[in-house]
Amino acid sequence: MISGQRIYVTGMGAVTALGSGVSALWNGAVSGVSGVRPISFGEKYPTMIKQAAFLERPPKSPGIRPGSPGDVDFVTSIALTAAAEAMSQAKWPTDMPLGNDAAVVIGTGIGAITTIEGEYQKYFSTGDRPDPFTVPKIMPSAPASNISMTYGARGISFALSSACASSSQAMGMALLLIRAGLARRAVVGGTEALLTYSGFRAWEGLRVMTPTLCRPFSKDRNGMVLGEGAAVMLIETEEALAERGGEPLAEIAGFGTTSDAGDMLRPDAQMCARAMSAALVDAGVKPEEIGYLNAHGTGTILNDQTESRAMRDVFGGHLDALPVSSTKPVHGHTLGAAGAIELVITIEALRNSIAPPTLNWISADSNCIADPVPNAARGAAINAAMSNSFAFGGINSSLVIRKV
Amino acid sequence: MTDEPQVELSPEMIEKIMGIVEKEGLVDRAKLTPDATLESLGIKSADMVMILMALEEQFGSYIPIDGPLTEAKTVEDFLRAIAPHIHPKPSAA
Repeated sequence: MISGQRIYVTGMGAVTALGSGVSALWNGAVSGVSGVRPISFGEKYPTMIKQAAFLERPPKSPGIRPGSPGDVDFVTSIALTAAAEAMSQAKWPTDMPLGNDAAVVIGTGIGAITTIEGEYQKYFSTGDRPDPFTVPKIMPSAPASNISMTYGARGISFALSSACASSSQAMGMALLLIRAGLARRAVVGGTEALLTYSGFRAWEGLRVMTPTLCRPFSKDRNGMVLGEGAAVMLIETEEALAERGGEPLAEIAGFGTTSDAGDMLRPDAQMCARAMSAALVDAGVKPEEIGYLNAHGTGTILNDQTESRAMRDVFGGHLDALPVSSTKPVHGHTLGAAGAIELVITIEALRNSIAPPTLNWISADSNCIADPVPNAARGAAINAAMSNSFAFGGINSSLVIRKV
Repeated sequence: MTDEPQVELSPEMIEKIMGIVEKEGLVDRAKLTPDATLESLGIKSADMVMILMALEEQFGSYIPIDGPLTEAKTVEDFLRAIAPHIHPKPSAA
Protein backbone atom coordinates (compact mmCIF):
# COMPACT_ATOMS: atom_id res chain seq x y z
CA MET A 1 0.00 0.00 0.00
CA ILE A 2 1.32 3.40 -0.99
CA SER A 3 -0.12 5.19 2.00
CA GLY A 4 -0.86 8.87 1.82
CA GLN A 5 0.18 9.21 -1.83
CA ARG A 6 -2.20 11.25 -3.88
CA ILE A 7 -3.19 9.90 -7.27
CA TYR A 8 -3.73 12.47 -9.96
CA VAL A 9 -5.40 12.65 -13.33
CA THR A 10 -2.81 14.23 -15.60
CA GLY A 11 -4.41 13.83 -19.02
CA MET A 12 -7.88 13.23 -20.40
CA GLY A 13 -9.31 12.36 -23.79
CA ALA A 14 -12.85 11.84 -25.05
CA VAL A 15 -14.73 10.89 -28.19
CA THR A 16 -18.48 11.50 -28.00
CA ALA A 17 -21.41 12.46 -30.22
CA LEU A 18 -20.42 16.06 -29.47
CA GLY A 19 -17.22 15.48 -31.45
CA SER A 20 -13.67 14.41 -30.80
CA GLY A 21 -12.02 15.88 -27.73
CA VAL A 22 -12.70 16.82 -24.13
CA SER A 23 -13.41 20.44 -25.10
CA ALA A 24 -16.21 19.44 -27.51
CA LEU A 25 -17.77 17.31 -24.74
CA TRP A 26 -17.41 19.93 -22.02
CA ASN A 27 -18.64 22.77 -24.24
CA GLY A 28 -21.70 20.70 -25.16
CA ALA A 29 -22.37 19.82 -21.53
CA VAL A 30 -22.07 23.41 -20.30
CA SER A 31 -23.92 25.13 -23.11
CA GLY A 32 -26.61 22.47 -23.33
CA VAL A 33 -25.89 21.32 -26.86
CA SER A 34 -27.03 17.73 -27.36
CA GLY A 35 -25.36 15.12 -29.51
CA VAL A 36 -28.69 13.28 -29.80
CA ARG A 37 -29.95 13.22 -33.40
CA PRO A 38 -32.00 11.07 -35.78
CA ILE A 39 -30.60 7.59 -36.36
CA SER A 40 -31.46 5.19 -39.17
CA PHE A 41 -30.07 1.84 -40.23
CA GLY A 42 -31.69 1.97 -43.66
CA GLU A 43 -35.08 0.97 -45.04
CA LYS A 44 -34.47 -2.75 -44.60
CA TYR A 45 -33.79 -2.32 -40.90
CA PRO A 46 -36.57 -0.30 -39.26
CA THR A 47 -36.55 0.71 -35.60
CA MET A 48 -39.25 1.97 -33.25
CA ILE A 49 -37.00 4.55 -31.58
CA LYS A 50 -35.39 6.93 -34.05
CA GLN A 51 -32.76 8.89 -32.14
CA ALA A 52 -29.43 8.39 -30.38
CA ALA A 53 -26.16 10.17 -29.60
CA PHE A 54 -24.28 8.01 -32.07
CA LEU A 55 -20.83 8.26 -33.66
CA GLU A 56 -20.30 8.29 -37.41
CA ARG A 57 -18.35 5.22 -38.53
CA PRO A 58 -15.50 6.26 -40.80
CA PRO A 59 -15.41 4.49 -44.16
CA LYS A 60 -13.18 1.41 -44.22
CA SER A 61 -9.66 2.53 -44.98
CA PRO A 62 -8.17 0.41 -47.77
CA GLY A 63 -4.72 1.35 -46.51
CA ILE A 64 -4.94 -0.76 -43.38
CA ARG A 65 -3.41 -4.21 -43.83
CA PRO A 66 -5.52 -6.94 -42.19
CA GLY A 67 -3.98 -7.96 -38.88
CA SER A 68 -1.84 -4.82 -38.65
CA PRO A 69 -2.02 -2.59 -35.55
CA GLY A 70 -4.63 -0.25 -37.09
CA ASP A 71 -6.99 -3.10 -37.96
CA VAL A 72 -9.32 -2.84 -34.97
CA ASP A 73 -13.03 -2.67 -34.19
CA PHE A 74 -14.59 0.78 -33.88
CA VAL A 75 -14.87 0.34 -30.09
CA THR A 76 -11.06 0.07 -29.92
CA SER A 77 -10.39 2.80 -32.43
CA ILE A 78 -12.30 5.43 -30.41
CA ALA A 79 -10.53 4.29 -27.22
CA LEU A 80 -7.18 4.79 -28.98
CA THR A 81 -8.24 8.28 -30.11
CA ALA A 82 -9.23 9.19 -26.55
CA ALA A 83 -5.98 7.72 -25.18
CA ALA A 84 -3.92 9.78 -27.66
CA GLU A 85 -5.59 12.98 -26.46
CA ALA A 86 -4.99 12.02 -22.82
CA MET A 87 -1.30 11.28 -23.41
CA SER A 88 -0.92 14.53 -25.32
CA GLN A 89 -2.56 16.59 -22.56
CA ALA A 90 -0.34 14.86 -20.00
CA LYS A 91 2.65 15.83 -22.18
CA TRP A 92 3.88 12.25 -22.16
CA PRO A 93 6.77 12.11 -24.69
CA THR A 94 5.56 10.35 -27.84
CA ASP A 95 8.59 8.10 -28.17
CA MET A 96 8.80 7.05 -24.50
CA PRO A 97 7.16 3.75 -23.46
CA LEU A 98 5.04 3.92 -20.33
CA GLY A 99 7.07 1.02 -19.02
CA ASN A 100 6.81 -1.76 -16.47
CA ASP A 101 4.94 0.14 -13.77
CA ALA A 102 2.09 1.32 -16.01
CA ALA A 103 -1.30 -0.43 -15.94
CA VAL A 104 -4.12 -0.28 -18.51
CA VAL A 105 -7.72 -0.84 -17.42
CA ILE A 106 -10.47 -0.18 -19.97
CA GLY A 107 -14.13 -0.77 -19.25
CA THR A 108 -16.69 -1.78 -21.85
CA GLY A 109 -20.21 -3.07 -21.42
CA ILE A 110 -20.68 -4.84 -24.73
CA GLY A 111 -17.46 -4.58 -26.73
CA ALA A 112 -16.88 -5.01 -30.44
CA ILE A 113 -20.45 -5.50 -31.65
CA THR A 114 -19.74 -3.89 -35.05
CA THR A 115 -17.36 -6.73 -35.92
CA ILE A 116 -19.47 -9.41 -34.23
CA GLU A 117 -22.59 -8.36 -36.15
CA GLY A 118 -20.72 -8.19 -39.46
CA GLU A 119 -19.13 -11.59 -39.00
CA TYR A 120 -22.42 -13.25 -37.96
CA GLN A 121 -23.95 -11.95 -41.16
CA LYS A 122 -21.18 -13.64 -43.13
CA TYR A 123 -21.43 -16.95 -41.25
CA PHE A 124 -25.20 -17.26 -41.24
CA SER A 125 -26.31 -15.29 -44.25
CA THR A 126 -24.00 -14.09 -47.00
CA GLY A 127 -21.26 -16.72 -46.86
CA ASP A 128 -18.62 -14.06 -47.55
CA ARG A 129 -15.06 -14.72 -46.42
CA PRO A 130 -14.82 -14.27 -42.65
CA ASP A 131 -12.28 -11.86 -41.20
CA PRO A 132 -9.42 -14.07 -39.97
CA PHE A 133 -8.63 -11.43 -37.36
CA THR A 134 -12.08 -11.54 -35.78
CA VAL A 135 -10.85 -12.91 -32.44
CA PRO A 136 -8.27 -10.19 -31.65
CA LYS A 137 -10.89 -7.61 -32.63
CA ILE A 138 -13.80 -8.88 -30.55
CA MET A 139 -12.07 -10.01 -27.37
CA PRO A 140 -13.29 -7.63 -24.66
CA SER A 141 -9.69 -6.83 -23.73
CA ALA A 142 -8.87 -5.61 -27.27
CA PRO A 143 -9.13 -1.89 -26.36
CA ALA A 144 -6.88 -2.37 -23.31
CA SER A 145 -4.35 -4.46 -25.24
CA ASN A 146 -4.19 -2.02 -28.12
CA ILE A 147 -3.57 0.87 -25.71
CA SER A 148 -0.92 -1.16 -23.89
CA MET A 149 0.82 -1.93 -27.20
CA THR A 150 0.57 1.63 -28.49
CA TYR A 151 2.12 3.21 -25.39
CA GLY A 152 4.39 0.40 -24.19
CA ALA A 153 2.52 -0.09 -20.92
CA ARG A 154 3.94 -3.34 -19.53
CA GLY A 155 2.25 -3.61 -16.14
CA ILE A 156 -1.10 -5.27 -15.53
CA SER A 157 -3.67 -4.69 -18.28
CA PHE A 158 -7.22 -5.95 -18.58
CA ALA A 159 -10.79 -5.19 -19.54
CA LEU A 160 -13.45 -4.60 -16.96
CA SER A 161 -17.06 -5.32 -17.84
CA SER A 162 -19.94 -4.49 -15.52
CA ALA A 163 -22.53 -2.99 -17.87
CA CYS A 164 -23.10 0.70 -17.15
CA ALA A 165 -20.65 0.66 -14.22
CA SER A 166 -17.76 -0.70 -16.34
CA SER A 167 -15.61 2.39 -16.68
CA SER A 168 -16.45 3.80 -13.26
CA GLN A 169 -15.24 0.53 -11.77
CA ALA A 170 -12.25 0.62 -14.16
CA MET A 171 -11.26 3.99 -12.66
CA GLY A 172 -11.75 2.61 -9.17
CA MET A 173 -9.81 -0.58 -9.82
CA ALA A 174 -6.92 1.39 -11.33
CA LEU A 175 -6.90 3.51 -8.19
CA LEU A 176 -6.75 0.38 -6.03
CA LEU A 177 -4.01 -1.20 -8.18
CA ILE A 178 -1.86 1.89 -7.76
CA ARG A 179 -2.54 2.08 -4.04
CA ALA A 180 -1.60 -1.60 -3.75
CA GLY A 181 1.75 -0.87 -5.38
CA LEU A 182 1.04 -2.86 -8.55
CA ALA A 183 1.51 0.24 -10.72
CA ARG A 184 2.58 3.86 -10.42
CA ARG A 185 0.51 5.10 -13.30
CA ALA A 186 -2.38 3.81 -15.38
CA VAL A 187 -4.15 4.49 -18.64
CA VAL A 188 -7.75 3.99 -17.65
CA GLY A 189 -11.23 4.65 -18.96
CA GLY A 190 -14.04 3.15 -20.96
CA THR A 191 -15.36 2.71 -24.47
CA GLU A 192 -18.67 1.70 -26.02
CA ALA A 193 -19.87 1.61 -29.61
CA LEU A 194 -22.96 -0.55 -29.84
CA LEU A 195 -25.25 1.48 -32.06
CA THR A 196 -25.42 -1.11 -34.77
CA TYR A 197 -28.83 -2.38 -35.87
CA SER A 198 -28.79 -5.45 -33.62
CA GLY A 199 -27.34 -3.51 -30.68
CA PHE A 200 -30.02 -0.86 -31.03
CA ARG A 201 -32.87 -3.36 -31.41
CA ALA A 202 -31.65 -5.29 -28.38
CA TRP A 203 -31.94 -2.14 -26.28
CA GLU A 204 -35.33 -1.35 -27.78
CA GLY A 205 -36.55 -4.69 -26.50
CA LEU A 206 -36.19 -3.56 -22.90
CA ARG A 207 -38.55 -0.58 -23.57
CA VAL A 208 -36.40 1.74 -21.49
CA MET A 209 -35.68 4.22 -24.30
CA THR A 210 -37.69 7.38 -24.61
CA PRO A 211 -39.60 7.91 -27.86
CA THR A 212 -39.46 11.67 -27.13
CA LEU A 213 -36.76 13.42 -25.08
CA CYS A 214 -34.54 12.21 -22.26
CA ARG A 215 -35.36 14.44 -19.27
CA PRO A 216 -33.68 13.14 -16.10
CA PHE A 217 -35.36 13.89 -12.75
CA SER A 218 -38.22 15.69 -14.53
CA LYS A 219 -41.92 15.13 -14.24
CA ASP A 220 -43.21 13.29 -17.33
CA ARG A 221 -39.86 11.68 -18.09
CA ASN A 222 -40.22 8.47 -20.02
CA GLY A 223 -36.86 6.86 -20.52
CA MET A 224 -33.25 7.12 -21.57
CA VAL A 225 -31.42 7.87 -24.79
CA LEU A 226 -28.50 5.75 -25.97
CA GLY A 227 -25.08 7.12 -26.81
CA GLU A 228 -21.65 5.97 -27.89
CA GLY A 229 -18.20 7.16 -26.98
CA ALA A 230 -14.95 6.69 -25.16
CA ALA A 231 -13.04 8.51 -22.45
CA VAL A 232 -9.52 7.66 -21.34
CA MET A 233 -7.28 9.23 -18.71
CA LEU A 234 -3.70 8.97 -17.58
CA ILE A 235 -3.51 8.77 -13.80
CA GLU A 236 -0.24 8.90 -11.83
CA THR A 237 0.96 8.93 -8.26
CA GLU A 238 2.16 12.31 -7.05
CA GLU A 239 5.66 10.85 -6.76
CA ALA A 240 5.70 9.50 -10.32
CA LEU A 241 4.39 12.81 -11.58
CA ALA A 242 6.95 14.82 -9.62
CA GLU A 243 9.75 12.72 -11.13
CA ARG A 244 8.76 13.62 -14.66
CA GLY A 245 7.48 17.10 -13.87
CA GLY A 246 3.88 17.13 -15.13
CA GLU A 247 0.79 19.06 -14.06
CA PRO A 248 -2.13 17.43 -12.23
CA LEU A 249 -5.71 18.18 -13.33
CA ALA A 250 -7.52 16.69 -10.32
CA GLU A 251 -7.07 14.06 -7.65
CA ILE A 252 -8.91 10.74 -7.86
CA ALA A 253 -9.66 10.52 -4.18
CA GLY A 254 -12.22 7.82 -3.50
CA PHE A 255 -14.04 4.81 -4.88
CA GLY A 256 -17.01 2.89 -3.53
CA THR A 257 -18.81 -0.01 -5.13
CA THR A 258 -21.60 -2.36 -4.07
CA SER A 259 -23.94 -4.97 -5.52
CA ASP A 260 -27.70 -5.08 -4.95
CA ALA A 261 -27.81 -8.89 -5.10
CA GLY A 262 -31.46 -8.39 -5.95
CA ASP A 263 -33.25 -7.67 -9.22
CA MET A 264 -31.43 -7.65 -12.57
CA LEU A 265 -33.06 -4.40 -13.74
CA ARG A 266 -34.53 -2.63 -10.69
CA PRO A 267 -32.02 -0.56 -8.71
CA ASP A 268 -31.85 -0.64 -4.91
CA ALA A 269 -31.59 2.77 -3.22
CA GLN A 270 -29.90 1.42 -0.12
CA MET A 271 -27.05 -0.17 -2.05
CA CYS A 272 -26.64 2.91 -4.30
CA ALA A 273 -26.33 4.97 -1.11
CA ARG A 274 -23.76 2.56 0.31
CA ALA A 275 -21.60 2.94 -2.80
CA MET A 276 -21.69 6.74 -2.45
CA SER A 277 -20.94 6.61 1.27
CA ALA A 278 -18.08 4.19 0.73
CA ALA A 279 -16.53 6.50 -1.89
CA LEU A 280 -16.77 9.44 0.52
CA VAL A 281 -15.17 7.45 3.35
CA ASP A 282 -12.44 6.21 1.01
CA ALA A 283 -11.71 9.78 -0.07
CA GLY A 284 -11.83 11.15 3.47
CA VAL A 285 -14.38 13.68 2.26
CA LYS A 286 -17.48 14.63 4.26
CA PRO A 287 -20.83 14.66 2.40
CA GLU A 288 -21.15 18.43 2.88
CA GLU A 289 -17.76 18.96 1.21
CA ILE A 290 -19.08 17.68 -2.12
CA GLY A 291 -19.72 20.70 -4.36
CA TYR A 292 -21.06 18.97 -7.48
CA LEU A 293 -22.53 15.56 -8.21
CA ASN A 294 -22.81 14.13 -11.71
CA ALA A 295 -25.71 11.72 -11.29
CA HIS A 296 -26.28 8.47 -13.10
CA GLY A 297 -29.61 10.14 -13.99
CA THR A 298 -30.73 7.98 -16.91
CA GLY A 299 -34.17 9.56 -17.28
CA THR A 300 -36.04 6.35 -16.46
CA ILE A 301 -38.72 6.58 -13.78
CA LEU A 302 -37.06 4.02 -11.55
CA ASN A 303 -33.43 5.11 -11.74
CA ASP A 304 -34.10 8.75 -11.06
CA GLN A 305 -36.39 8.21 -8.10
CA THR A 306 -34.10 5.54 -6.62
CA GLU A 307 -31.00 7.70 -7.06
CA SER A 308 -32.81 10.69 -5.55
CA ARG A 309 -33.71 8.65 -2.49
CA ALA A 310 -30.15 7.33 -2.19
CA MET A 311 -28.66 10.83 -2.46
CA ARG A 312 -31.02 12.06 0.27
CA ASP A 313 -29.85 9.22 2.52
CA VAL A 314 -26.20 10.13 1.97
CA PHE A 315 -26.30 13.92 1.85
CA GLY A 316 -29.29 14.71 4.07
CA GLY A 317 -30.07 18.43 4.15
CA HIS A 318 -26.92 19.25 2.15
CA LEU A 319 -28.64 17.80 -0.93
CA ASP A 320 -30.82 20.92 -1.17
CA ALA A 321 -27.71 23.08 -1.61
CA LEU A 322 -25.72 20.60 -3.70
CA PRO A 323 -25.76 21.05 -7.49
CA VAL A 324 -26.67 17.64 -8.94
CA SER A 325 -27.15 17.14 -12.65
CA SER A 326 -27.33 14.43 -15.27
CA THR A 327 -25.51 15.17 -18.51
CA LYS A 328 -26.93 12.12 -20.30
CA PRO A 329 -29.31 14.16 -22.50
CA VAL A 330 -26.11 15.72 -23.96
CA HIS A 331 -23.89 12.68 -24.66
CA GLY A 332 -26.52 9.95 -24.32
CA HIS A 333 -26.22 6.96 -22.04
CA THR A 334 -22.90 5.57 -23.20
CA LEU A 335 -23.21 2.46 -21.00
CA GLY A 336 -19.75 1.00 -20.38
CA ALA A 337 -18.12 4.32 -21.27
CA ALA A 338 -20.52 6.41 -19.17
CA GLY A 339 -18.50 6.37 -15.94
CA ALA A 340 -15.36 7.67 -17.64
CA ILE A 341 -17.12 10.20 -19.91
CA GLU A 342 -19.07 11.59 -16.96
CA LEU A 343 -15.94 11.67 -14.80
CA VAL A 344 -14.30 13.83 -17.50
CA ILE A 345 -17.25 16.22 -17.21
CA THR A 346 -17.07 16.11 -13.40
CA ILE A 347 -13.36 16.98 -13.51
CA GLU A 348 -14.01 19.85 -15.93
CA ALA A 349 -16.84 21.05 -13.67
CA LEU A 350 -14.41 21.11 -10.74
CA ARG A 351 -11.68 22.85 -12.75
CA ASN A 352 -14.05 25.49 -14.17
CA SER A 353 -16.28 25.94 -11.08
CA ILE A 354 -19.38 25.32 -13.19
CA ALA A 355 -22.16 22.78 -12.67
CA PRO A 356 -23.41 21.69 -16.10
CA PRO A 357 -27.18 21.49 -16.53
CA THR A 358 -29.75 18.71 -16.87
CA LEU A 359 -31.35 19.33 -20.27
CA ASN A 360 -35.02 18.93 -21.21
CA TRP A 361 -36.20 19.27 -17.62
CA ILE A 362 -39.82 20.48 -17.44
CA SER A 363 -40.86 20.55 -13.78
CA ALA A 364 -40.21 18.79 -10.51
CA ASP A 365 -41.32 15.23 -9.80
CA SER A 366 -42.14 14.81 -6.12
CA ASN A 367 -40.15 11.54 -6.10
CA CYS A 368 -36.96 13.18 -7.41
CA ILE A 369 -34.52 15.90 -6.48
CA ALA A 370 -36.28 19.20 -7.11
CA ASP A 371 -33.43 21.20 -8.60
CA PRO A 372 -31.17 19.21 -10.94
CA VAL A 373 -29.55 22.40 -12.33
CA PRO A 374 -32.33 22.51 -14.92
CA ASN A 375 -31.50 23.55 -18.48
CA ALA A 376 -28.82 26.16 -17.74
CA ALA A 377 -25.34 25.83 -16.24
CA ARG A 378 -24.64 27.34 -12.84
CA GLY A 379 -21.50 28.68 -11.20
CA ALA A 380 -20.46 26.57 -8.23
CA ALA A 381 -17.54 26.54 -5.81
CA ILE A 382 -16.34 22.95 -6.15
CA ASN A 383 -13.49 21.55 -4.07
CA ALA A 384 -14.67 17.96 -4.31
CA ALA A 385 -17.16 16.23 -6.58
CA MET A 386 -18.81 12.86 -7.10
CA SER A 387 -19.82 10.84 -10.14
CA ASN A 388 -22.32 7.95 -9.92
CA SER A 389 -22.79 4.91 -12.15
CA PHE A 390 -25.47 2.32 -11.48
CA ALA A 391 -25.69 -0.71 -13.72
CA PHE A 392 -28.08 -3.47 -14.70
CA GLY A 393 -27.19 -6.47 -12.61
CA GLY A 394 -27.36 -4.24 -9.55
CA ILE A 395 -23.77 -3.01 -9.73
CA ASN A 396 -23.24 0.42 -8.17
CA SER A 397 -20.09 2.50 -8.42
CA SER A 398 -19.24 5.97 -7.17
CA LEU A 399 -16.07 8.03 -7.59
CA VAL A 400 -14.94 11.08 -5.64
CA ILE A 401 -12.47 13.61 -7.01
CA ARG A 402 -10.78 16.49 -5.26
CA LYS A 403 -9.26 19.76 -6.39
CA VAL A 404 -5.47 19.76 -6.51
CA MET B 1 -50.73 9.39 -15.92
CA THR B 2 -52.14 12.87 -15.77
CA ASP B 3 -51.26 14.11 -19.23
CA GLU B 4 -52.08 10.95 -21.17
CA PRO B 5 -55.15 11.29 -23.35
CA GLN B 6 -57.87 8.86 -22.35
CA VAL B 7 -58.40 6.34 -25.11
CA GLU B 8 -61.25 3.85 -25.02
CA LEU B 9 -60.39 0.36 -26.21
CA SER B 10 -63.12 -1.70 -27.88
CA PRO B 11 -64.16 -4.96 -26.17
CA GLU B 12 -62.63 -6.89 -29.09
CA MET B 13 -59.35 -5.05 -28.66
CA ILE B 14 -59.33 -5.68 -24.91
CA GLU B 15 -59.98 -9.37 -25.63
CA LYS B 16 -57.02 -9.43 -28.01
CA ILE B 17 -54.73 -7.70 -25.49
CA MET B 18 -55.83 -10.01 -22.69
CA GLY B 19 -54.93 -12.93 -24.92
CA ILE B 20 -51.42 -11.49 -25.23
CA VAL B 21 -51.16 -10.95 -21.46
CA GLU B 22 -52.34 -14.50 -20.84
CA LYS B 23 -49.83 -16.01 -23.26
CA GLU B 24 -46.78 -13.81 -22.65
CA GLY B 25 -47.33 -13.22 -18.95
CA LEU B 26 -48.21 -16.89 -18.27
CA VAL B 27 -51.36 -15.81 -16.48
CA ASP B 28 -54.56 -17.77 -15.91
CA ARG B 29 -57.20 -16.05 -18.10
CA ALA B 30 -59.90 -16.41 -15.44
CA LYS B 31 -57.86 -14.26 -13.06
CA LEU B 32 -57.50 -11.40 -15.58
CA THR B 33 -60.16 -9.15 -14.12
CA PRO B 34 -59.94 -5.33 -14.28
CA ASP B 35 -59.23 -4.95 -10.57
CA ALA B 36 -56.68 -7.79 -10.32
CA THR B 37 -53.26 -6.42 -9.42
CA LEU B 38 -50.32 -7.19 -11.66
CA GLU B 39 -48.48 -8.29 -8.54
CA SER B 40 -51.18 -10.80 -7.58
CA LEU B 41 -51.02 -12.18 -11.13
CA GLY B 42 -47.27 -12.67 -10.75
CA ILE B 43 -46.48 -10.26 -13.61
CA LYS B 44 -42.91 -9.11 -12.95
CA SER B 45 -40.79 -6.57 -14.87
CA ALA B 46 -39.41 -9.28 -17.16
CA ASP B 47 -42.95 -10.53 -17.94
CA MET B 48 -43.97 -6.96 -18.79
CA VAL B 49 -41.09 -6.70 -21.26
CA MET B 50 -42.37 -9.88 -22.98
CA ILE B 51 -45.93 -8.53 -23.07
CA LEU B 52 -44.77 -5.23 -24.58
CA MET B 53 -42.70 -7.06 -27.20
CA ALA B 54 -45.79 -9.01 -28.27
CA LEU B 55 -47.86 -5.81 -28.38
CA GLU B 56 -45.23 -4.29 -30.67
CA GLU B 57 -45.47 -7.29 -33.00
CA GLN B 58 -49.26 -7.17 -33.00
CA PHE B 59 -49.89 -3.43 -33.23
CA GLY B 60 -46.61 -1.89 -34.38
CA SER B 61 -46.52 0.25 -31.25
CA TYR B 62 -43.52 1.10 -29.08
CA ILE B 63 -44.73 1.33 -25.50
CA PRO B 64 -42.06 2.59 -23.10
CA ILE B 65 -41.91 0.85 -19.75
CA ASP B 66 -41.40 4.31 -18.26
CA GLY B 67 -44.34 6.62 -17.86
CA PRO B 68 -47.93 5.72 -16.96
CA LEU B 69 -47.11 2.03 -17.22
CA THR B 70 -44.60 2.32 -14.36
CA GLU B 71 -47.43 3.40 -12.06
CA ALA B 72 -49.93 0.78 -13.22
CA LYS B 73 -51.00 -1.50 -10.37
CA THR B 74 -54.05 -3.28 -11.78
CA VAL B 75 -55.12 -4.78 -15.10
CA GLU B 76 -57.36 -1.75 -15.61
CA ASP B 77 -54.41 0.63 -14.97
CA PHE B 78 -52.38 -1.40 -17.43
CA LEU B 79 -55.03 -1.12 -20.14
CA ARG B 80 -55.44 2.60 -19.54
CA ALA B 81 -51.63 3.10 -19.76
CA ILE B 82 -51.20 1.24 -23.03
CA ALA B 83 -54.44 2.39 -24.72
CA PRO B 84 -52.99 5.59 -26.25
CA HIS B 85 -50.29 3.47 -27.96
CA ILE B 86 -52.65 0.91 -29.50
CA HIS B 87 -53.59 2.02 -32.98
CA PRO B 88 -56.86 0.79 -34.50
CA LYS B 89 -55.08 0.09 -37.79
CA PRO B 90 -51.89 -1.80 -37.10
CA SER B 91 -48.86 -0.46 -38.93
CA ALA B 92 -45.89 -2.60 -39.79
CA ALA B 93 -43.01 -2.39 -37.34
